[in-house]
Amino acid sequence: MLQLNFNQLWRYQDEFLHGVSLTLMLTLVATVAGLAIGLVCATAAGSRFAALRLLVRSYVEVIRNTPALIQLFLIFFVLPYAGLRLPPVYAAAAALSIYMGAYATEILRGGLASIPRSQIEAGQCLGLTRWQVFRHVILPPALRNIYPSITSQIVLLLLGTSLASQVSASELFHAAAFVESRTFRSFEVYAVVCAIYFTLVLAFRLAFVGIGRIAFRWPTGR
Amino acid sequence: MALVEISNVHKSFGEVEVLRGIDLAVEKGEIVTIIGRSGSGKSTLLRCINGLEQINGGEIRVAGEQVHSRSTDLRKLREHVGIVFQQFNLFPHMTVERNITLAPVLTGKITKGAAARELALKVLAQVGLEEKVDAYPGQLSGGQQQRVAIARCLAMSPDLMLFDEVTSALDPELVGEVLKVMEDLATQGMTMILVTHEMNFARNVASKLVFMHAGMVHEEGRPADLFANPATPELANFISSVR
Ligand SMILES: Nc1ncnc2c1ncn2[C@@H]1O[C@H](COP(=O)(O)OP(=O)(O)OP(=O)(O)O)[C@@H](O)[C@H]1O
Ligand SMILES: [Mg+2]
Repeated sequence: MLQLNFNQLWRYQDEFLHGVSLTLMLTLVATVAGLAIGLVCATAAGSRFAALRLLVRSYVEVIRNTPALIQLFLIFFVLPYAGLRLPPVYAAAAALSIYMGAYATEILRGGLASIPRSQIEAGQCLGLTRWQVFRHVILPPALRNIYPSITSQIVLLLLGTSLASQVSASELFHAAAFVESRTFRSFEVYAVVCAIYFTLVLAFRLAFVGIGRIAFRWPTGR
Repeated sequence: MALVEISNVHKSFGEVEVLRGIDLAVEKGEIVTIIGRSGSGKSTLLRCINGLEQINGGEIRVAGEQVHSRSTDLRKLREHVGIVFQQFNLFPHMTVERNITLAPVLTGKITKGAAARELALKVLAQVGLEEKVDAYPGQLSGGQQQRVAIARCLAMSPDLMLFDEVTSALDPELVGEVLKVMEDLATQGMTMILVTHEMNFARNVASKLVFMHAGMVHEEGRPADLFANPATPELANFISSVR
């Protein structure tokens, strides 16, 4: 019979806490950077210049069709040969941002395309600049349309930060592996870590619902 | 000099020539209605007047300024030329107030805050909808949305207003309230060019009637004259078909 014993884990509170904070940090950085990359690339995807469109297309396809772990390894293990040596946490943040950026590009592109031409024309006819039309007419409803997909993607990203453990960035999963190696209580350690991830995701989802309620108050319909 | 001078305008979509040499002049204060069969190029002509569409030949001048010249600042021009569409095209994520004041604020005509609200209430009064200042478009009927769209246009104090079948998407019982607003505008001396299927409006309110056919101005003149004595069989057919 398996004897459960969680007592020994308490001593490693700090490791877990540190892991959680790095996990959250990676998620935050990659979300912000990924959305910024996504916004730029989604705009470039609608550009007049074929070369720019091709560049964005290649980026999105390469990232979305290869394992994120390999992307991380390329940045951490291969970039140093090109003279760029990043500490584990930075390499992980960079890899996750690039990864998130590709998915965000696709989602945002769909969002921008979902705004009818007539809305854009209405903005132009009122004498607004291209930027003003983008900022005030296109962006808010586009963000609302993609809010469910973007928030799911952020949750996937949160779970995906566990990859960073593979280059020994001490996020939550890395902390778990460390504690396990000290205590040999595999089941307990991973049960606890699982519960922590689950709680984090739950908190994120609740926050997203709240933010969505506040940010998108206008009635839809028709 | 007329406020709008359209001379020999040609416009093609790919191989298809939709406007085939349009000539039309609209004086300040005139109310011109354009009628014609579906596909005769009415919407295209309106869209050319405010530069939404490029043209392939001829020229359009508004207040002396050539709309399709490279040196023309279209944004400046559009601050003086309002357009109202069949589908309202209000911004669904903004309140009525913000829909109305967005452009005046962003183009620097007025400041945010009290001045903006005052302007919104002023133009809403013109269309009889002050009480909806804080509503969202999604909470309004079609007729109310169209009146807000007209108010949004008025907030820019345009010298010319274009209307493209603004009552066609409305339930019959809502058409009257929108036509009423347009009649009021006509009375106040607004220069208007409108495409419409409302023959009574064309007959009773317009100062000039234009019948478009096959991409050209087929007939134009005083509405009463054209309705009573159409010079061409095309217009005669059209009038009898819409009656
Ligand atoms: N963006 C476009 N691309 C290609 N063809 C177009 C475009 N816009 C209009 N057309 C064509 O140009 C012709 C004139 O269209 P337009 O919308 O000006 O007609 P209309 O007189 O306004 O008709 P309706 O009464 O149905 O609104 C039509 O044959 C239409 O199919
Ligand atoms: Mg039309």
